[in-house]
Amino acid sequence: MANRTVPRLLQTPAVLLLLFWMLVPLSMTLFFSFIRYVLNNLRRPEWTSPSIDNWRGLGNYQYVWGQDSFWLAIQNSLLIVCSILFLTVTLGIAIAILVNRTFPGRGIVRVLLISPFFVMPAVNAVLWINMLLDPVLGLQGIAVNGINDMIAGMREAPVVGGFFSLWPEFEPISFRATQTSAYAVIMMVTWQWTPFAVLIFMTSLQSEDQQQKEAALLDGAGAWSQFRFLTLPHLGRPIAIVVMIQAIFHLSLYAEIEIVSRGNGNKNLPYYIGELVNNNIGAASATGIFAVILANIVAIFLLRMIGKTLME
Amino acid sequence: MAIVAQHTKFSKIAWPVLAWVVALIFFFPIFYMVLTSFKTDADAVKPEFLFSFTPTLENYANMTENYDYWRFARNSVITAVSATIFTLVVAVPCAYAMAFNPTRATKDILMWMLSTKMLPAAAVLYPMIFMTKAAGLYDTHFLIIMVLSLINLPIVIWMLFTYFKDIPKDIIEAGKMDGLNTWGEVREILIPLAWGGIASTALLCFIFCWNEAYWTVRLTTTDAATLSKLIEGNRAPEGLFFGRLSAVSTAAVGPIVVLGWFCQKQLVQGLTFGAVK
Repeated sequence: MANRTVPRLLQTPAVLLLLFWMLVPLSMTLFFSFIRYVLNNLRRPEWTSPSIDNWRGLGNYQYVWGQDSFWLAIQNSLLIVCSILFLTVTLGIAIAILVNRTFPGRGIVRVLLISPFFVMPAVNAVLWINMLLDPVLGLQGIAVNGINDMIAGMREAPVVGGFFSLWPEFEPISFRATQTSAYAVIMMVTWQWTPFAVLIFMTSLQSEDQQQKEAALLDGAGAWSQFRFLTLPHLGRPIAIVVMIQAIFHLSLYAEIEIVSRGNGNKNLPYYIGELVNNNIGAASATGIFAVILANIVAIFLLRMIGKTLME
Repeated sequence: MAIVAQHTKFSKIAWPVLAWVVALIFFFPIFYMVLTSFKTDADAVKPEFLFSFTPTLENYANMTENYDYWRFARNSVITAVSATIFTLVVAVPCAYAMAFNPTRATKDILMWMLSTKMLPAAAVLYPMIFMTKAAGLYDTHFLIIMVLSLINLPIVIWMLFTYFKDIPKDIIEAGKMDGLNTWGEVREILIPLAWGGIASTALLCFIFCWNEAYWTVRLTTTDAATLSKLIEGNRAPEGLFFGRLSAVSTAAVGPIVVLGWFCQKQLVQGLTFGAVK
């Protein structure tokens, strides 16, 4: 096309906005990561404002690198992200195959299944940690109490009573505690994101080659080998995409951690940064740069994959 | 279909039953929240009233009194609607130019836009607080609208691009022959043809804005605080307020879940950037 000015002009606002969004805050973070910058310091008041005179070089990076809590936060981020990925992908494949057949009420089943994905993260976390998982008042507490009462009742019964008297009293689990809060986060995010995986795998399954499957059936291939050698390879690409998109989203998980435990012993990287921001800006910024590097490692793979299909 | 022939009677019954059971398990937490919202706070924690109770609307009637719900809801509506409109105003021309006048740089620009989405928000938290406080924008609608627009802009451009790409170029060329200028092409040809795509993109963008829970929590205190902030502030009601908390949660997510049902298909395209079809 002869006239290139108009198309360029049309793209300019979007490009400029994103350029600003990407460059300005990030370069500030980069600058802060090289200086001493703390919000409250009575002894060294000159450190409380950002200035080039407080240059610290790589000192903030060294400080963060040497902190146990930084490594715990990374470990926790990875634990949470990897567990969620494993659960959502396996559950997602199973449920997508389950719903891929036609049966009565399939439309309603789909609607019910996708619903959790649209619940806002704050509500998701408040709902799970209080109404479902609370050890006393939540459904968990009620269920555990019910089971204990039932066992107590069975102890009085003739014949089988002796067997049930061997059973212990069940203890409900407190998911706000240090050791367990990560599991609560994993549970609630898995609940929210499995529908996403199901939706994508289902879309992909609909384009699966049915003739190939019929041929395999005629050759006497069982259900398992059909899945293993036809369906699973077909899902390879969607699985990779689900994994990477979720990795990017879940590496920056925040609201759920905040609501479940206020990061009590269960900080992930964004939460750790959020805490440092209350005082030590230099260290928070250095941690932020580490988080950017971590996200970029994931992002490069994703961009490569999407780039391939882009202009088809 | 030969595969159907393989099904035994058992799997014809067991399969749908299993599918229904799984769907009901996934929906159960939402159902339980809605159910609890119709119980009084006292009933909500008593096991004997788990499923049989006298329903009451008092939690909904007292939402304003208990939580100042409508102030937060108003902020959510203002920010999410404005951000969606602003995003579309910026994104439609951009995606239009990219789809109908692609250059060698177009692919790279699209990839770069997507890469901004992958920047961890926490990494730029302090600069955002610092800048917005310095500029007097902290806790204002304007700030939240801008931030929501910026974080959704890449996905929206991407979705619109995949829709526009499918429109035959000849139609636009024909428009040019008829003497339409660029604005005329957009108004007379593009928008009528891509209306469905634009509408579902807008819907999805609105949902993402409504549910956003990082910037809306960290960059607001009262004036621009959205429903995410309201719920986050009531994270630990100690069991005393399950009824009223359920009501306010239901009011916060109900409309969005229903809207979400209408854009399932677009969700796949939008979130996988057209890479899964």
